[in-house]
Amino acid sequence: MSSAVPVDPTQYSRRSFVYRRLRDAGAVFADCGDTAIADGYPGRGGLPSRMALIDLSPLPRIGFKGPQTLEWLSRQAVTIPARNNRAERQTDGALAIRLADTEVTILGDIDSRDNTVSRLENRPPAGGCYPVPRRDSHVWFVLCGGKAPACLQKLCGVDLRIGRFEDLAVAQTSLARLSAQIVRQDHGNVPTFHILADSASALYLWDVLVDAMDEYLGGLAGRSALRALRETRG
Amino acid sequence: MTARLAPPYGLLLDRDRSIRFSFEGQPIEGYAGDTIASALAANDIWLLSRSFKYHRPRGILSMAGDDANTLVQLPDEPNVLADLHRISDGLAVTGQHYTGSLRSDGGQWIERIAKFLPVGFYYRAFHKPRGIWDFWEKRIRARAGLGTVNEAVRGRYYDKEYAFAEVAVVGAGAAGVAAAIEAARAGRQVVLIERQPILGGALNHARVDARATRGVDLAGALAEDLAAVEDRITILTDATCTGLFDDNLLAVVTGNRLIKLRAEQVVLATGAIEQPMVFANNDLPGIMMGSAAQRLLWLYAVRPGRHAVVVTVNGDGYGVALDLAEAGVTVQAIVDLRTAAAPDSRVEEAVSRRYPILQGFTVDRAIANAGGHHLAGVDLVPAEKDDMATPARRHIACDLLCMAVGWAPAASLAAHAGAAVTYDETANSFTVADLPPTIHATGALAGIWNTDDAIAHGRHTGRRAAGSHGEPTAKTDAAQLSVSAPFPCSETGDGKAFVDFDEDLTPEDIRNSIAEGFDHIELLKRFSTVGMGPSQGRQSVTNALRLLCRETGQAIQESQGWTNRPPAFPEKIGQLAGRGFDPVRKTPMHDRHLEAGAGMMVAGNWLRPVGYGSNLSEAAIAEARAVRNGVGLIDVSTLGGIDLRGPDVVEFLNRLYTMDYTKQPVGRGRYALMCDMTGTVMDDGVACRMAQDHFYVTATTGNSDGVYRSMLQWNAQWRLEVDIANMTGAFAAVNIAGPQSRKVLGPLCEGIDLSAAGFPYMAVGEASVAGMPARIMRVGFVGELGYEIHVPAGYGEALWDALTDAGRPYHCRPFGVEAQRILRLEKGHIIIGQDTDGLTHPHEAGMGWAIGKRKPFFVGKRAIDIQMARGLERVLVGFTLPPQTAVLPEECHLVFKGEDIVGRVTSIVRSPTLGQPIGMAYTAPDRAEPGMPILIKGPMGRYIQGTVAALPFYDPENRRQAG
Repeated sequence: MSSAVPVDPTQYSRRSFVYRRLRDAGAVFADCGDTAIADGYPGRGGLPSRMALIDLSPLPRIGFKGPQTLEWLSRQAVTIPARNNRAERQTDGALAIRLADTEVTILGDIDSRDNTVSRLENRPPAGGCYPVPRRDSHVWFVLCGGKAPACLQKLCGVDLRIGRFEDLAVAQTSLARLSAQIVRQDHGNVPTFHILADSASALYLWDVLVDAMDEYLGGLAGRSALRALRETRG
Repeated sequence: MTARLAPPYGLLLDRDRSIRFSFEGQPIEGYAGDTIASALAANDIWLLSRSFKYHRPRGILSMAGDDANTLVQLPDEPNVLADLHRISDGLAVTGQHYTGSLRSDGGQWIERIAKFLPVGFYYRAFHKPRGIWDFWEKRIRARAGLGTVNEAVRGRYYDKEYAFAEVAVVGAGAAGVAAAIEAARAGRQVVLIERQPILGGALNHARVDARATRGVDLAGALAEDLAAVEDRITILTDATCTGLFDDNLLAVVTGNRLIKLRAEQVVLATGAIEQPMVFANNDLPGIMMGSAAQRLLWLYAVRPGRHAVVVTVNGDGYGVALDLAEAGVTVQAIVDLRTAAAPDSRVEEAVSRRYPILQGFTVDRAIANAGGHHLAGVDLVPAEKDDMATPARRHIACDLLCMAVGWAPAASLAAHAGAAVTYDETANSFTVADLPPTIHATGALAGIWNTDDAIAHGRHTGRRAAGSHGEPTAKTDAAQLSVSAPFPCSETGDGKAFVDFDEDLTPEDIRNSIAEGFDHIELLKRFSTVGMGPSQGRQSVTNALRLLCRETGQAIQESQGWTNRPPAFPEKIGQLAGRGFDPVRKTPMHDRHLEAGAGMMVAGNWLRPVGYGSNLSEAAIAEARAVRNGVGLIDVSTLGGIDLRGPDVVEFLNRLYTMDYTKQPVGRGRYALMCDMTGTVMDDGVACRMAQDHFYVTATTGNSDGVYRSMLQWNAQWRLEVDIANMTGAFAAVNIAGPQSRKVLGPLCEGIDLSAAGFPYMAVGEASVAGMPARIMRVGFVGELGYEIHVPAGYGEALWDALTDAGRPYHCRPFGVEAQRILRLEKGHIIIGQDTDGLTHPHEAGMGWAIGKRKPFFVGKRAIDIQMARGLERVLVGFTLPPQTAVLPEECHLVFKGEDIVGRVTSIVRSPTLGQPIGMAYTAPDRAEPGMPILIKGPMGRYIQGTVAALPFYDPENRRQAG
């Protein structure tokens, strides 16, 4: 994947909830369709060895609610996890997260290619299945690295240890007193946790996570670091 | 460092790193790894602090943090345990609780009037006359106290952590380590918690055999086993388990962190606490536990004295004597309370080395040196008064007295778990029984005193905790059943003998309390305060119970001590508080508000602009005028937004809200008023019909989560086919209001004809605003032509920018909550929660028009009907005050009818539009007609008369908002 052309996030109408924090930290932004995403932090190398925090909020994602949700999504060729609080990788890089018998969230691929999300956005569901704008209601952060579980233990009462909270497990819980969904989706052998939470609390949560990972020498990373991780180890 | 020993002593010291600190202003040098107490002792400083009540000199007692004798003051922190707190460069330490200087304490006179201060004297002495306690309390607290809180200290960083274990082992002595090893060998993930900086417990300092080799061998073997399973054991040193709660939740404090550890199985290997002997002046510095002397030797390389007496009833005491002698201390005598020692290799070794051993003697009193700060000698007497065969009183000069007269299990955590902790006359100590199935005791806590036995028992316990079963190991041999004296108290000597060092309590205090009728251990504790000090009775409960039973004739067998409650060890408030997590919500335009000079306020869990400018009161007036005369923008992203979708959505709304939505056309909004089952007004908003089966309902900022929860709760009962999705954070919203608002918005808007006819008041629709997808509502909360524009949150800042840019030719300015309050009051719109309270029903608030009278049901309808049948007791009215009114009433000031209170002011402002004060207030129904006087008791109790006015104050024909 060639390096992205730097862009100014304010040239887009749609902006990440934390773009100012990322900009102040030295992020270089890249185009990702209708908005800009922090692609990397020049001079800081790739993924910090112990832990990294990445903002994927600009990327596409969508939710569906209602009694017909599972059936309708299945008809759209989405692979639905067999049980609640599990996630399932899609063939195009998307991730389907089953939150309940009546609710699913789909995270788009990190390269924001034409994928499951855009396909579903353009195909209004039938009755009994209703879209919900998770791209706007929920911030999307990623915490990855070997120390990520330990870092999260400072904020969350759920047992997120590697041996207990396995790959593709989902926890709907409280993170630093904020309702959040935590989804583990390892990239290669690197533990990776997606964190979805109230977008209006994005700055609060970002600051809390930065503070919490300081003890473990964690750092900020951009989408390209996650992409590299996936390509080299995945 | 005159008392410092050469290696191999000093297991915890890093002799390559010198540390300089100060004590009482005197420079002191120690090594990295030293505690304050050990470093001072190495420099022959033994006086650390003063006692709680009598200001008596105190020094090292346990060297394990089990007593309050070593509490010292740090600049930022009072009541620091000097025997646990490690030194650091520049640390400034002082003693605490003295007047003048530590060595010459002017407060010592209090002991001379001790007989006038019996236990509990202040309960009676300061009971009458009323108020006298307030006078004396300050003086008593100044005299009897601990350290001083430095209020200038800024808060430190504390945090918390959740942790999990399949097996948690508390205590890393020999038994605890053995248990952890076996649990890990069985494949369990283990967390091993140790209060000290290293593992091994007593193996690091106690002498378990004559040649002092067995302990080393055992420690080596355990270390080897531990290394083989280290990948399954998380070791927490310098970590104190302070409480054991339901479902095996352990509170573990380490540094500035509180760990909440949840374990499937818990092994308690908390060991035992060496108990003091009671005799005259038993608190003098230089008198310490035998184990404390061994800790000083082996952990800190400090010679605890030069001439020692060891008083004992067990082999441990002989081991102490052997250790002391080998470290160069002259053993003046081993005083054995027993007439004959039990078989023990350490006893035999001491005999073979010809140490002076006095069998059947006890300590009668300790004698201080000339300065009164340290031990200079002891007087001994026969242990049994009628023992005629033993020679009479003896005096032995010494500067160190080691007490090795028994142990008590460290049973606090076991007690938290509900174990029965009762006294056993065979063991002369407490025993632990009846632990829950997932909690196990081992080691000394389980009454195993022999180290080899403890390790075997620990291994077995570890396997049990891991789920393996097997026969329990043999507990111990009979000779090891008791290591404690039955009654190590001697009261014949002159001077105060202390049962409780924390509270300066003597046997006489205990007896006086019993004589007062407090003859149960729990009552005795509360009246005398025995065991209520910082060490929580760890060294006083055993002797207090013995005294109680002896004095009252109660059987001591199976007697219980007082109730143990968490915390077992001191916790700091900061550790309990942890890192403050206080989620706050910010709109996407937050930074734009700050850039525009907004002052922010908390609204629900949001931050909202009060107004823009340095003077917020003036700003509110100017902003309100801008809206009335031109155009203004307010960020209303904080309003709740809930999508209701499904075939039953109209039925759902009709049940939940007071109005009727059956005939509401798509593309129109309608006011929405929500009540609870008692008919109380809960919330309001606008219900916008976006499609036949889709409503977008707004809610107030502070109550949107409550409305959402209420919807979920009701639909769980009704089971209607409707999906409820909280969109509050998903949308950013701006209200553009004022006569010029259409001109500003028009050029940006595509997809909707914004003309009065094309998009009339209460119209709703979807459009594109500056290229962004938007829901637009024609609303008029502030009483002007206005539009609410809701866009996906990611577009919020860009929307604000676009409207600001488009409004610039019209002098559009942002306005905040305060201006909005003025404008809506002028328009007579209520704010739920401000103009209503927890009892307000719609008719009282003048909202009868919002009730669908033909509806068969809505939440609260029946209650409202009943209330209306009873008649109104108050109504919300508008009122005006004369323009020249200088000081306005405030919200919640009372409204009177004659001498009766009939209501209160709910809102009041000085209206910039009307040029006079206007407000809303509850008043009596017969005083609610426009033109009637309204009497308000304003500031300083002054009555202010206003006039009831018709609502709205402004634009009653609604021409402006409908324009």
